[in-house]
Amino acid sequence: MAITLSASDVPSPPLSARLSPPQVWGIVLLAPYLLVFLAFVVYPVCYGLWLARHPASYVALYHDPIFARAAVNTLIFLVIGINIKMLIALFLSGFFAQQRPWIRWLSVIFILPWAVPSIPTILSVRFMLNPEWGVVNQLIFKFTGDDGPNWLNDPAVALAMAIGVHIWKSLPFWTLILLTGRLAISHDLYEASDVDGANWWQKFRYITWPSMQTLYITCTLLSMIWTLGDFNSVYLLTGGGPADLTHVLSTLGIRYLRLDQLSLAMASIVCAMPFVLPLVYYMMKRLSR
Amino acid sequence: MRSKVIGALSLAVAAVGLFAATAPALAQGKTITVWWGKGFYKSEDDALLETIKKFEAKTGIKVELSQYAIQDMIPKTVAALDSGTVPDVAYSDTYDVLAQGKWAFEGKLEDLSDIMLPMKDAFAPNTLEAALLYNDVTKKKSYYGFPLKQQSMHVQIWGDMLEKAGFKAADIPTKWEDYWTFWCDKVQPAIRKATGQRTYGVGQPMGVESTDSFQSFYTFMDAYHVKLVDDDGKLLVDDAKVRDGLIHALKDYTDTYIKGCTPPSSTTWKDPDNNVAFHNKTIVMTHNFTISIAAKWFEDSTNPALTDAQRAAGKQAYEQDIITASFPKAPDGSTIKYRSDVKTGLIFANAKNKAEGKQFIAFLMQEDNVRPYVEGALGRWFPVTKASQASPFWQADRHRKAVWNQFTGGTAPFDFTKNWKFTILNNENVWAKAMNRVVSEKVPVDKAVDELIARIKQVAG
Repeated sequence: MAITLSASDVPSPPLSARLSPPQVWGIVLLAPYLLVFLAFVVYPVCYGLWLARHPASYVALYHDPIFARAAVNTLIFLVIGINIKMLIALFLSGFFAQQRPWIRWLSVIFILPWAVPSIPTILSVRFMLNPEWGVVNQLIFKFTGDDGPNWLNDPAVALAMAIGVHIWKSLPFWTLILLTGRLAISHDLYEASDVDGANWWQKFRYITWPSMQTLYITCTLLSMIWTLGDFNSVYLLTGGGPADLTHVLSTLGIRYLRLDQLSLAMASIVCAMPFVLPLVYYMMKRLSR
Repeated sequence: MRSKVIGALSLAVAAVGLFAATAPALAQGKTITVWWGKGFYKSEDDALLETIKKFEAKTGIKVELSQYAIQDMIPKTVAALDSGTVPDVAYSDTYDVLAQGKWAFEGKLEDLSDIMLPMKDAFAPNTLEAALLYNDVTKKKSYYGFPLKQQSMHVQIWGDMLEKAGFKAADIPTKWEDYWTFWCDKVQPAIRKATGQRTYGVGQPMGVESTDSFQSFYTFMDAYHVKLVDDDGKLLVDDAKVRDGLIHALKDYTDTYIKGCTPPSSTTWKDPDNNVAFHNKTIVMTHNFTISIAAKWFEDSTNPALTDAQRAAGKQAYEQDIITASFPKAPDGSTIKYRSDVKTGLIFANAKNKAEGKQFIAFLMQEDNVRPYVEGALGRWFPVTKASQASPFWQADRHRKAVWNQFTGGTAPFDFTKNWKFTILNNENVWAKAMNRVVSEKVPVDKAVDELIARIKQVAG
């Protein structure tokens, strides 16, 4: 008796047999990365979200004036800090685009704040700004007899200093990125504009800016995402002080941890999501065009 | 098939036999995890290590010691509690004031009555009581900690700076208002004129992350006889007299800053910072909740790692220059009764080796072990046991004598021993927040006090 088998009755070969050797190697080589990614990225994020799942935590955050203050400080950081930084970076990229030997040397020095690790650099600034024995106020006292400003003990000044440190620390990086964008603009365009008698502002307005607009906006978005997670500038410089008045969302979690309120610590971090996710989505959308 | 079964059975029997043979050895080789706040001085940590060594030799239990900076202890412990991997024994200088009452209330701590009660008679009055905490799960009080040492408020003054400013110790006023005016309006301008340095008369701790700030503020409150809770822990903040006292205390405390008599950075000081400012001679005096300031110079005087000149400077500072004193009289002329703060360690309810942890605590609390540990802090901490308090160590010099006199003169406990929710208020440091509302945000003192009272009622009411 002849038995005919339908295609669905035929057992399919095992997965390993269906994959080509390069594909198998690909999976083998990818596996360690995936495991590390799952263990150190996916799991902590999911666990953090799990800890922040209680609605009561968000109610408590809403009633905590320090949270509101941190949210406002974060917005100030994003709106003022980033725009000042990117504008300075844009104009500095023009300065460093000049073909002069001394500018090359200067660019090496300029990149140092970004290249050196955060802890020593920001702590150095903190020591310099110490109102009693910091070098800045010592000089002010020496030459004027005045005690000098409370750089890190007045909430408004301390926040301004934190923004200043953030700008100083990350400005070289963004200047470098925008410089590469500038150098990609064809020199012929500038030569043609010289023939037409364009001044520097017209060159910037009609050649440089249109060529760099996309890069500039993308960099600004990326900088916003990074700044939202910038823990170092505030924590190392002011520690969130005085009296927790200079905290931003990225440093607030530490405060709640110190107060034995882990769920609030996680909830405060989750509260940054509405800021981050639209930025990430918008940026990915721009990049995919 | 049959041979396979026999083989498997033989293997299982061999495994059971091997486990039975090694089981006692495994119990012997048990390891307990101990988390301990790092001491200020090497001698303190050395005494602890010596005790651990003796304990390991005596019991065969291995101790895995992790020491952390004091400010890191609570965040690390909170994270450990959350993950469920707590140490077997833990001690931090900040547990009692900031967290222990809350953890006991939530049922997170192990009852240590079985080791505390047998040694009850060894403790001095008002010490063991600090570990008697309420558990809301069992609905009763019990010993959810072990008292280790205690501290109280002292004033430290650079006598040589005072002289440089043209004053003697005898010139220091004893009346409340005159006292603060003296440092602010007389000593500070005089020392600046004499040295040309930006020196401040007072070191007034005001940092939110410092326990010094609220411990000092409590002394100011006590000067005005502010009683926030009764003996049952019931709030008394609705009393108009309490509000009035708080306004006076907060005004006096913040005036020093407003007048520019304390370093501007004192609003962000952490616990070691007034010590550092004093050591650097940027302040002439400070109030501190231990004599750690003077003790640091004593340690320098005996430290073989330092140069002869540094040791001599340490000796000079400890024996000649630094004065350990008390606060002035209260504004009404009465003597301030100082608060004492009994430092307690603990075992968590979900610790893995509770029995061995208790063994370790019982061993540590023996006089031969606890005394060197407390005295290793060079006078910074005062003992909780009667025998240790009677030690000649406390009569060895004027600084230690001052501490001994202060403690034996009678002290009062902090409010968190009567109402555990004050640990939350201390942890938030509502006291330093009120100070900062006044000095950093320019809020009127009475408004800052009303906010403070509202927060106290919200948390501890």
